[in-house]
Amino acid sequence: MRSCFLGSWLFAALAAGSALLANPALMEEHCGKCHNDEELKGDFSLSHLGQNPDRDNIFLWEDGLEFVTAEEMPPPEKSELSHADRKHIILFLKQNVRDYHERNAGPERVGPRRLNNRELANSIADVLMIEDVGTHQPVANLVGDTLEDGFDTNGNALGMSQYHLEQYIASIRRVLDATLLSGKKPAAKRYIVGSDKLQLTNLSDRRRAVRANRTEESIDLLDLRLYAYFENFETAPETGRYRIRIRATGIDRGIYDAEETGMYHGDPIRLRVHLGDRIRDFDLPDGEILEIELDEWIARGTRVLLSHPTDGLRMKGNGNFKFQYRITRDYLEKHNRELYQYVVREEVPVAIRRKDRPDHWVHWTKYWQGPRPRLFSAEVEGPLYESWPPKRQVALLGQEPRVENAAGILRPIAERAWRRELRQGELDPIVKLVQSSAETLGMIEAFKEGIVAILVSPSFLLINPEEGDPADRFATKLSYFLRSRIPDERILTASRSGQLDSYQAVRSEVKRRLGNGEAEEFLKEFPYAWLQLDRINFMSPDPDHFPLYNRKRLSEDMIGEVLHFFRHAVENNLPVTEFLSADYSFINADLAKVYDVERVAQDSKLRRHAFKDGRRGGLLGMGAFLTLTADTLGTSPIHRAIYVMENFLGIHPSPPPADVNIEEPDVRQAKTIKEILSAHAADETCASCHRNIDPYGYAFENFDPVGAWRDEYTMHIRTRPSGTTPLEIQKENERLAKLGLPPLAMPSEDKPIPVDASATFRNGQEYRDIVEYRRLLQSEVNRDRFVRCFIGKLLTYANGVELENYWELEKILSKSAQHDYRIVDTIAAVIDSPLFREE
Amino acid sequence: MNMDRRAFLKGIGGALALPLLESFSFGSTVTPSAPTRFLVVGNPFGMHPDNFFPKEFGHDYTFPKTLRSLEWLRDRLTLLSHTDHGMVNGHGREVSFLNGILPENSMAYPEKNISIDQLISRRTGSKVRFPSINAALEHGIRMSWNSNGVEIKPHTDPQKLFDHLFLNMTPEERGIRRELIERNGSILDTVGDQLVSLKHKGSVRDRERLDQYETSVRELERTFSDRKNWIDKDKPAYDISEHFNDYEVTVENRYNAIFDMIGYAFRTDLTRVATVAFPNQLSYTDVNGVTRGYHACTHNGKKPDVIAELVAIESFQIAQLSRLLQKLDAVTEPNAQGSMLDHTVVLFGSGMGYGGTHSNRNLPILVAGGGFKHRGHVDTRNSAGRNMPLCNLYVTLQQRFGIERDTFNTSSGAFDLPYHA
Repeated sequence: MRSCFLGSWLFAALAAGSALLANPALMEEHCGKCHNDEELKGDFSLSHLGQNPDRDNIFLWEDGLEFVTAEEMPPPEKSELSHADRKHIILFLKQNVRDYHERNAGPERVGPRRLNNRELANSIADVLMIEDVGTHQPVANLVGDTLEDGFDTNGNALGMSQYHLEQYIASIRRVLDATLLSGKKPAAKRYIVGSDKLQLTNLSDRRRAVRANRTEESIDLLDLRLYAYFENFETAPETGRYRIRIRATGIDRGIYDAEETGMYHGDPIRLRVHLGDRIRDFDLPDGEILEIELDEWIARGTRVLLSHPTDGLRMKGNGNFKFQYRITRDYLEKHNRELYQYVVREEVPVAIRRKDRPDHWVHWTKYWQGPRPRLFSAEVEGPLYESWPPKRQVALLGQEPRVENAAGILRPIAERAWRRELRQGELDPIVKLVQSSAETLGMIEAFKEGIVAILVSPSFLLINPEEGDPADRFATKLSYFLRSRIPDERILTASRSGQLDSYQAVRSEVKRRLGNGEAEEFLKEFPYAWLQLDRINFMSPDPDHFPLYNRKRLSEDMIGEVLHFFRHAVENNLPVTEFLSADYSFINADLAKVYDVERVAQDSKLRRHAFKDGRRGGLLGMGAFLTLTADTLGTSPIHRAIYVMENFLGIHPSPPPADVNIEEPDVRQAKTIKEILSAHAADETCASCHRNIDPYGYAFENFDPVGAWRDEYTMHIRTRPSGTTPLEIQKENERLAKLGLPPLAMPSEDKPIPVDASATFRNGQEYRDIVEYRRLLQSEVNRDRFVRCFIGKLLTYANGVELENYWELEKILSKSAQHDYRIVDTIAAVIDSPLFREE
Repeated sequence: MNMDRRAFLKGIGGALALPLLESFSFGSTVTPSAPTRFLVVGNPFGMHPDNFFPKEFGHDYTFPKTLRSLEWLRDRLTLLSHTDHGMVNGHGREVSFLNGILPENSMAYPEKNISIDQLISRRTGSKVRFPSINAALEHGIRMSWNSNGVEIKPHTDPQKLFDHLFLNMTPEERGIRRELIERNGSILDTVGDQLVSLKHKGSVRDRERLDQYETSVRELERTFSDRKNWIDKDKPAYDISEHFNDYEVTVENRYNAIFDMIGYAFRTDLTRVATVAFPNQLSYTDVNGVTRGYHACTHNGKKPDVIAELVAIESFQIAQLSRLLQKLDAVTEPNAQGSMLDHTVVLFGSGMGYGGTHSNRNLPILVAGGGFKHRGHVDTRNSAGRNMPLCNLYVTLQQRFGIERDTFNTSSGAFDLPYHA
């Protein structure tokens, strides 16, 4: 069997050219000992490669090339392969892979996919030429999009059903009803909102009278769960433009200790205006009244609410606001003895509740001096219209739409929506619909019907559902890639006139858009999807053991750090490799606490910080990655290893075989994760994979579940609520014993266990800690892997499907290398590739 | 099906004056089969644990005080001890009762913090007039959430709920509704025309997604024609005035009205999913012996008289539930074995364990009816003594409705609760 196989190999090699003659024999010598039909190490035998790569085994050739290049195969302890021989094997494999792809070169076509919900909302707004879909939550009823590996652009995950379609129709109708108005022009009114008309409500819509925060002329926003509203203008009575003026100021910033309030003295006090789900934030000046003025198109029924957005004011008690009043007590005791004594002596004894507990929060509410917005008054005027019918309606339908002009009116709308020129007669059924509806529904309503039909058409809801003009297809794809919305005039024209046909042209277009704020969606959504930031609170750190994470909403800072770094790389066109090699990142005072950095500005702004100890900087040291790969109480080197392999290095380790019975680690024994895993890897079925996987993750063991540094493990025993004493556990155990249930663990009194973050990769490279690990990840092989992985993720984001074309990927990689791996150049190379252009 | 429905139902033993079954009427191809329904009753403060959880596990436990009104159902309920959502203690986390996720963390989940009732109603909703009915008195407790993380506001006024459920639309309203369905139908027609030409243009590999789209259009067209029938059909006639005829309108008779309406909606197949909440803001002072506010009673300082008031409020909630379940149990399920209760999955509970200690760890959870092989009082902790994620129960419940998923939000497995097939 084996000799027969060798014979066919020699034949293949002869065909490939005599210089390669020796290689099959070389491979037989160095690989065949384990990868033969009897041993099948790693489920692979050389015979699986056949004579030449074909559709079914090409991935084995590519994996082989990858392993041999990375010097992971053959394993150093099994075979000594000389440098020259390795080069021979690499050359042989590479040539075969390339030949295969050249033989099979053809257009890479990507099937159509449905718009996801955010693309849909952007696109509807663009087609109708309005700022957003509206303030009345018109798309809240849509089914949430399913993510695939973090991507919301995956065509397979984006399903379509009767239910979806019905929700689309309902949503689109709601948007149109708040855009196109028929009938008489509603009269404008003025609403004077004096301080007595400013009221508070909680999230269950119950009006709250909090007396402590009201004076004759103002009301304060204390509790984060309370919203202010205008008693005489709760919701907009008609759709239209409203002018809203609010007089507000920020008070008492910097009085209480920032550690107590969780609000930094350096952060301005902010006021958030909610117009339905449209949000506007304003920084309030201290002690000086800001006249806020908004001029907004608001849908009928939209509620106007004001709130105090902050990640602070959750530090005391369980985080609910009332417990924060304890800060007042402590502050007065220290800084205002007179008032403190007065409350304790005069007020507490006559209080209705808690006379016996002067330290109870209830006694201190009216003296609260935490940072907060103070509202004085407001004024609303509207609905206002520049003209009647309103400007936005005239822009879409003209001053007085008539059925005779239906085709002319609907054509530009359909062309925008369908992202292409219309075919002869294509609009006829829609024009007919408008005509037949006009008599019964009236003109405006009839045109709405036409627009609904345009927007529930597959030509709108699906991206590139047909062959069509390649220029339009490309413009559409590029636009959704950069902006998650329909292509604008500029992209369409450029694409149609061939101005985006070259790498250089694509590069300058991409650079321009990334630089001028026209690719904001890409700058946020791509890194978010690539790094699977959606997962950060999936198994979020235990609130009892990692209070800061929950109380200060650290996940938001961590996500901010990633996005800021990505934006920085794009703005400065840095090499992609800097994501791994940078010794810096962008942190604020909250992240500084996690990263143990001292002397930073005391505010929430992200600023560049260089880490001198070699442990952090770039993606590998970021809290986001370290947290989203951890469990609630512990960390798993395997989760982190898999994350690094799949998202940074493009290696996809196969999942454990289904028939393997994995023992649940015994948490009652104070074992380190490394001991548990070593026991696991002692089993040979597990070992062959884990030898490959685990070394990618051990280096991170010094980072706890929120990404803070640790030298020793802290055992978190979460069998009882925190604060349970050994005595209570003993009592509980007696009860459990009677029930025949196993006992709970006692708090460990053993010596702390030091972290061991060392490991050896399969290719023999060793590291002692994260510092050395980071250095190894910057090897040439790993650098190429990282860039290749990054390219693959860009393509997945663009195509909604993972295309497997190793050779085209290599071509993008070498283009990127020619430009020092600079990120804008790399993105341009991706877009210019046949894998994006589908040529 | 050209047979007199009433005669048919009588034939299988439904001796009551049977209301019209709403969904039973369309299309001659429909084979009648028994629906499965879902009822959730929740409160924001949990339950006083000593009076809710029995001392013993298994089937032979002493019936706890708060649950006494349910004793008749002993063999058909399961009490779960030691479940939680892994939340920190304190108020504000009870909003995760039916999903295990706080709104601020919902972005981590593809369907956000969708609650189990809404997930199930998506399954059952297309067959009935109202996908779900959500009710509370005066205020909601934020129990139901859709797959975009948007809260479903409950009906908080029994009179308005009545209008919503049972008041027939005026001819004008019917006209508007019918017109909308016709408009939507014309739009689908127009889109269908375009689809034909598009499919010609598309390549073979593009066709799969276009087919998916086309199927959606066809199915929606069919639904629209069903809907049109709804409009002309009168809603089942119902009279709840008995609850408002008393000299005084009390919490009790208003809740009676709510529960009766839901019972009737189930019997007439107006809906298959209903939730009822008992808010904290309500004044329960007309309930037997209660003088304090609900929240104040939870902070009783272990004073026996205050605890007694709390238990009275909690017993009242259970009694309300029991009253409805008795009514459902008195009706034989048409087209199936057993009573209507045997085809109604009942969940009572809270996202808070016990308000007195602000604990969110040992949640009071009760499952009844639904044709389950009930297990009595169950300690759900695993061998390491850890509480079971409550979402494990929701995995089991969703599977009961034929939703073939083995995870739900924060689940780590499923709760073992087999049912009579």
